[in-house]
Amino acid sequence: MVTQHGIKLAVQLISSHFGDLVAKVCECLLRKGILTLQEVVRHTKLNPQNVTKCLLVLIQHNCVQAFRMEQQGGFGEASKVLVQYMVLFENILHRMRFPKFLVIVSEELGKECEMVLEGLLQHGRLTLHQIFERANKSNKNEAQDAIRESFIRLVNARYVERCPAHEPFLVPPTEEETTARKRGAKSAKIVEELETIEQRAIAAAAPMEAKRFLVITDTGTDVKGENNGDNSPSVTVGVKRKHGASEMDGELGALEFEEKVTWRPNFEEFVRRLRHKACIANVRSRLDDGSAVVLSSVLEATRTAEKKVKTEHSVPISLNTIYEEVMKSEAGRTMTLDHVRASLVNLGCGKRGTDELYSIDLKNIIELAQNDEVESIVLKRYGKEAYRMFRLLSNTSRLLETDKISEITFVEKKDTAKILYKLWKDEYLQMEKLLLPASRQSHFLLWKVNKNTLWEHVLDEMYHASLNLSQRVAYELEQENEVCLWKTHLLGYFSFELILISLCFFLVNYFGEL
Amino acid sequence: MSRSGASSLKRKRPDSNSLSQSLTEHERVLYDLIRSKQDMGIWTRDMKRETNLPDNVVTKSLKVLQAKKLIKEVVNIQNKGRKHFMAVEFEPSKELTGGAWYVEGNLDIEFIKFLKELCLKQIYMMKVATVEGVSDAIKRTGAFKVECTTQQIAEIVKALVLDNEILEVRSTGSGEFSSIPIGAVCYRCTSRGGLGGGGPKIGAMASIPCGVCPRISQCTPDGIISPRTCVYFAKWLDF
Repeated sequence: MVTQHGIKLAVQLISSHFGDLVAKVCECLLRKGILTLQEVVRHTKLNPQNVTKCLLVLIQHNCVQAFRMEQQGGFGEASKVLVQYMVLFENILHRMRFPKFLVIVSEELGKECEMVLEGLLQHGRLTLHQIFERANKSNKNEAQDAIRESFIRLVNARYVERCPAHEPFLVPPTEEETTARKRGAKSAKIVEELETIEQRAIAAAAPMEAKRFLVITDTGTDVKGENNGDNSPSVTVGVKRKHGASEMDGELGALEFEEKVTWRPNFEEFVRRLRHKACIANVRSRLDDGSAVVLSSVLEATRTAEKKVKTEHSVPISLNTIYEEVMKSEAGRTMTLDHVRASLVNLGCGKRGTDELYSIDLKNIIELAQNDEVESIVLKRYGKEAYRMFRLLSNTSRLLETDKISEITFVEKKDTAKILYKLWKDEYLQMEKLLLPASRQSHFLLWKVNKNTLWEHVLDEMYHASLNLSQRVAYELEQENEVCLWKTHLLGYFSFELILISLCFFLVNYFGEL
Repeated sequence: MSRSGASSLKRKRPDSNSLSQSLTEHERVLYDLIRSKQDMGIWTRDMKRETNLPDNVVTKSLKVLQAKKLIKEVVNIQNKGRKHFMAVEFEPSKELTGGAWYVEGNLDIEFIKFLKELCLKQIYMMKVATVEGVSDAIKRTGAFKVECTTQQIAEIVKALVLDNEILEVRSTGSGEFSSIPIGAVCYRCTSRGGLGGGGPKIGAMASIPCGVCPRISQCTPDGIISPRTCVYFAKWLDF
């Protein structure tokens, strides 16, 4: 979900990492959507060489995906194939989460892996050969084998993947589709069309699932990334991925493989990890430790089988498999089968079918967490009475009249109207006027929480908050030279970083759902 | 905590014959009208409309009737500015007073607060309880001189749920729910439970200045309100 402040935040990030020129090109793509090189040049008024370089930087850092598509020529001209550029908004925001990604790898796989990942995050994409070179330069003279091993571990954990195809060819939408779209409401349909093109381009560029995590080693044996997790079903090759199946390394030798195949961090897996962590933390605070352990085990066991990041229900697995996984963790060793079963009931997951398969409603957990977060904002910003009213309206999800709200929440009618009005003005509530000319009171005000629009509004406020935080961090760092505010700087900087990180983490996990 | 009991008790009717004889015709017309409205009373404007008497006559007659203690002025919760009259033998109806939670037209905040705390304490002690359970327990403690209906307790408990102090759950019939029939709606304290310790926790967004900033919509990088010059930030960073 791209909002106004989301764009500003993304531009600020690119500007601070790659300079104003790249940021200008990036902003143009963010605001105008998919463009060709000529169009970018026209909109930004930069010279074509610069624009090309900027686009290359953005592609190198996985912020832009290029694709080719046939354009119909007008007035008897032949149709031609044009290269189009599309910005990947989420990937830009992921740049804020890099420290978080490094922490995950450091905790799970150790320091060596963290170093390899750090290189990939810094350079966007690298070949194995470049990774070795970089390690040699850093003067640590580690054995190539050790680095290779770290790299393979990262790939096996799916934290690193092959880069997508550079310029996949996209079949333009068929006649029928376009005419059907033209008929509908204009703006909405255009957005929808763009989305489908974007999604198709990403799908077309992505490497085949079998190749995505495939490492060829010089010992001659292929190391596949799919053999962790004992019951993970073999990943089926998506039909839509067919276009992207580049034949580039079908017969590659180990040496060529090292030099030609480029790798990049797999943001998807990191985000999945963070999402899982957020769910577990929420369950721990809302229910109990037992439930958190069970949820964590279920997610661990089904991790590789998840089809997409925003999975709504965990992949169904049997009670026995869950129990085995629970036993593996330290906290779960003392749990009995009955305890596990009770925790599953606590998590609100019913049996699926007769063979006792369990699936946990992750969407529900995320929704509860989102509610908590927004309610907490309302409480802090508008007070306890407003909090009560907001929760009432948010739970009933239908229109309620002012007096009714006043009665239920025990707030004086006059104050109720004031509070509701304030919430409405800040776009937290929806209001509808009901005119009844015949009765003594000529109009009534009805109120409601519209979660779809409100969530978007809150997400935008969060982008705004992140933008402000990063600007303040930059400002504090500037000031550092002038005054010896070492305390402010040191503590301030670290707390900023921490909060920035936790906020970003929160953004993606809860509101990235949109 | 003395509360008036049933709201529409009729008092003994005064000897109307002897009194009404001392009234003028206008006064009697007005008095009969007011009395006919019983515990609903009547607004002065409506009196004028229904009796077709001129303003000054109505005002004067009302004064006389009040002086003779035949009628009284009452507060109408729906419209506090309107003058509302009622015959003395009636108590204002719920529609006028706003129900049990109102005293003289104002929300009885003290009483509500007291009742809320009491309910919370009870639920905390009982771990899991139905509304009836809480109501009975409160009756047994004898904290009130007046009766508190189960309906009233239910309203209070609902407000506590909205405060996020307690949770509404359905009984599973086992464990802590053993004394409650399966499927019955009951209440328990939130996990962080206890008195004062309950309630919501502060989220990530609410813990930074921008998350709860009242001026966020006017805040721009180079504006009068900007993150660089923000006083909330300065305060937040001042260790």
